[in-house]
Amino acid sequence: MTTKDYQTEPQGYTMTTVMEEAARCLLCHDAPCSKACPAHTDPAKFIRSVRFRNVKGAAETIRENNALGAICARVCPTEKYCELACSRSGIDVPIDIGGIQRYVTDFEQAADMHILKKGNSNGMHIAIVGSGPSGLQAAVTLLEKGYGVNIYERSAKAGGYLTYGIPEYRLPSNIVDYEIQRILDLGAEIHYNTTIGKDITMNQLKADNDAVIVAIGASESKMLPMFEGQDNVETAVSFLARAKENKGNLDLPDNVVVVGGGDVAMDVVTTLKKLDVKHVTDCVYEEFSEFKASKKELAGAEAEGVTILDGYVPDHIEGNTVVFKHRHIDSQLAIKTDKVILAIGQDTNAKNLGIRLEHGEAPSAGYRTHDSKVFITGDIAQGDKTVVYAVQKGKEVADEIDAILGGKQND
Amino acid sequence: MINKDLSIDFLGVHFENPFCLSSSPVGNCYEMCAKAFDEGWGGIVFKTIGPEDFKVDEVSPRFDELTKEGTPFVAFKNMEQIAEHPLDQNLADLKKLKENYPNKVVIASIMGPTEKDWEELARLVTEAGADMIEMNLSCPQMTSHAMGSDVGSNPPLVKKYCEAVKRGSSLPMMAKMTPNITDMVPAAKAAMAGGADGIATINTVKSISNVDLEKKTALPIVNGKSSISGLSGKAVKPIALRFIQQLRVAAGLEQLPISGIGGIETWEDAVEFILMGSTTLQVTTAVMQYGYRIVEDMKNGLMHYMEEQGVEHLSELVGLANKNIVPAEDLDRNYKMYPEIDWDKCIGCGRCFISCYDGAHQAISWDEKTRRPSIDTSKCVGCHLCALVCPVHAIHPGKIVMKEGREGDPSKVDVVSQRLY
Repeated sequence: MTTKDYQTEPQGYTMTTVMEEAARCLLCHDAPCSKACPAHTDPAKFIRSVRFRNVKGAAETIRENNALGAICARVCPTEKYCELACSRSGIDVPIDIGGIQRYVTDFEQAADMHILKKGNSNGMHIAIVGSGPSGLQAAVTLLEKGYGVNIYERSAKAGGYLTYGIPEYRLPSNIVDYEIQRILDLGAEIHYNTTIGKDITMNQLKADNDAVIVAIGASESKMLPMFEGQDNVETAVSFLARAKENKGNLDLPDNVVVVGGGDVAMDVVTTLKKLDVKHVTDCVYEEFSEFKASKKELAGAEAEGVTILDGYVPDHIEGNTVVFKHRHIDSQLAIKTDKVILAIGQDTNAKNLGIRLEHGEAPSAGYRTHDSKVFITGDIAQGDKTVVYAVQKGKEVADEIDAILGGKQND
Repeated sequence: MINKDLSIDFLGVHFENPFCLSSSPVGNCYEMCAKAFDEGWGGIVFKTIGPEDFKVDEVSPRFDELTKEGTPFVAFKNMEQIAEHPLDQNLADLKKLKENYPNKVVIASIMGPTEKDWEELARLVTEAGADMIEMNLSCPQMTSHAMGSDVGSNPPLVKKYCEAVKRGSSLPMMAKMTPNITDMVPAAKAAMAGGADGIATINTVKSISNVDLEKKTALPIVNGKSSISGLSGKAVKPIALRFIQQLRVAAGLEQLPISGIGGIETWEDAVEFILMGSTTLQVTTAVMQYGYRIVEDMKNGLMHYMEEQGVEHLSELVGLANKNIVPAEDLDRNYKMYPEIDWDKCIGCGRCFISCYDGAHQAISWDEKTRRPSIDTSKCVGCHLCALVCPVHAIHPGKIVMKEGREGDPSKVDVVSQRLY
């Protein structure tokens, strides 16, 4: 087995090729791409900067808006946002905005730029529970406004799903580490291996801080009753974390069945293939016409040779055989397999945090809770569950706290 | 975001940054100039104002572009003349601009067919509140041969008209020179002798950009005919830099204050003009193609460059390259530098082989099996054409050797720029 495919990110642009791509940009008036970014990044502006050979300026445009700009460049489903809006589609295909953003943020790292600036201390402190994308962005926005920030992370490393979920070939660990280091350099303090309710109580956090943000994400994989207690069944969250922690060095059978059709499922099946698993069969609830995964992720899985059976749901297990039935047509599949990985969605474990969630999400929109000192952000706040939305929610919850605590209002 | 002081003084006038619109269609009325100021330009040279009785009568269409492969606007040809609005309105616009933008620099470009006209126009724009005057001695497409580049290539006339302007105004004045001349120095000297405080250059280069193969005339076609007219844009940058260099090192013109013009689009272009001796910069073609917004990246990129160079004031950069441009006979001809191929980058296209064989010295051989070039140093003269044509920049400066019988230390040869982008 070789892990090279899993460990290696595809090559990015060079100065020459990024200019070729930027030259395709039409430099639109009232640019639709810039209106389509959930995190309010301004692609029209940073592409224009690249076009006019001002890569440092491009880096400023990205970084000042998005503390996780290098991560979003790699994992954002741009086909649904900026690239969907791109006027170039009227000629041929949209500008590769994510690719240009990756070039710029890689340049920023290579040039050792320090764009984010800490605000003058206002003497107030905020605790953030969870160091996923939303918690990290909230931390940066608050630090820029002069707050002290302590982040409590139950794992040994920060980043949440960025660190323990998204596979290495899509998001290299060193990129995540660098983005987090930037946030540490800005003054955030991260308390690792610290679980609320066990190592420190919520009441303590509330007593020590002016506000607490709960940004715990949906980090628990869902399980189907029929698979419970089965030795050969693993959740996607567990599998992806093991793959990332072991740099792809996993003991895997030749025949794995995956259940699920979202981006997480695509990460699982593509990872399996890159780790040389011969037969990867993905059974997906949705049919292709209603597929949930991004086109890019689906294409990646297909390119690796994953067998995707759409419209099938698991019905029951007979020993090592999983029996699937089609949702609409009279069809049944019995697949004998050595391993089943479930990628059927995630749930939240909000124990000991004193917040009310319904189906893993706040019962009402916004970032406030019934406790005036406690706020939520990220996947447990209402709205889309992508990294780019997590970033925007992080900015918004920080702005809201700042507005309430009487700090300087964001303009 | 980086923020550095880009201000600079030119002919005694303070510019918040060196970026100005040049006298052209991009500064044709109050609203245009106001928008340019709002978007960050430091100054504007209002479209050339002529005498009341000179009636501008333009053709349609009036522009053309030179392209190469997929790139538009490699150069831009225009047939437009001077401001078409009535004199009173132009003067009123100048006045309003200065009133509403007191910290920006408003420069009046003027042009007349007689001494009396020059003097009168200078007086009028001074009364309107302009900060500076630019004499347009260089428009190559005027319908009157008493105006434009025909005047600018005639030094005695240049001197006479400069004196006339100085009689009409005490404002700082720059004379805008034409590149349609072998040597700009006599005209510039005549301008300075006539009282000019500095030089603006270059104006457009007389040109025929394209010939229509069916109509058998040049572009743009005006009812079956066309005319020679001015070329601008990226392609004229090398011509502009050459003239500016020659002015800056001419005996008797040392430290000549220059407003640089000609193909500026990016902050790098701007730095090149500054290093070559320009104090302020003027832009039109890139604005016509992309809009006033291009100034954002020019300013920001220039700030980053100053930061990298450890420069606090822009004036420290002016003319730094002048001393490093020397006559051909003064260049070090004692060594040659071989190209070196980076095999990790080479993709085996063979373009270096073709160019070396057909355009240089047949020093690259081609292995058909491996599709890789190799350089024969016994034939290679170190011209580096191969490096220029390589599409992946896989060919770099390599080993330096002294030519046979020449003295010198190859390790001391100064050739490689440290810039990474």
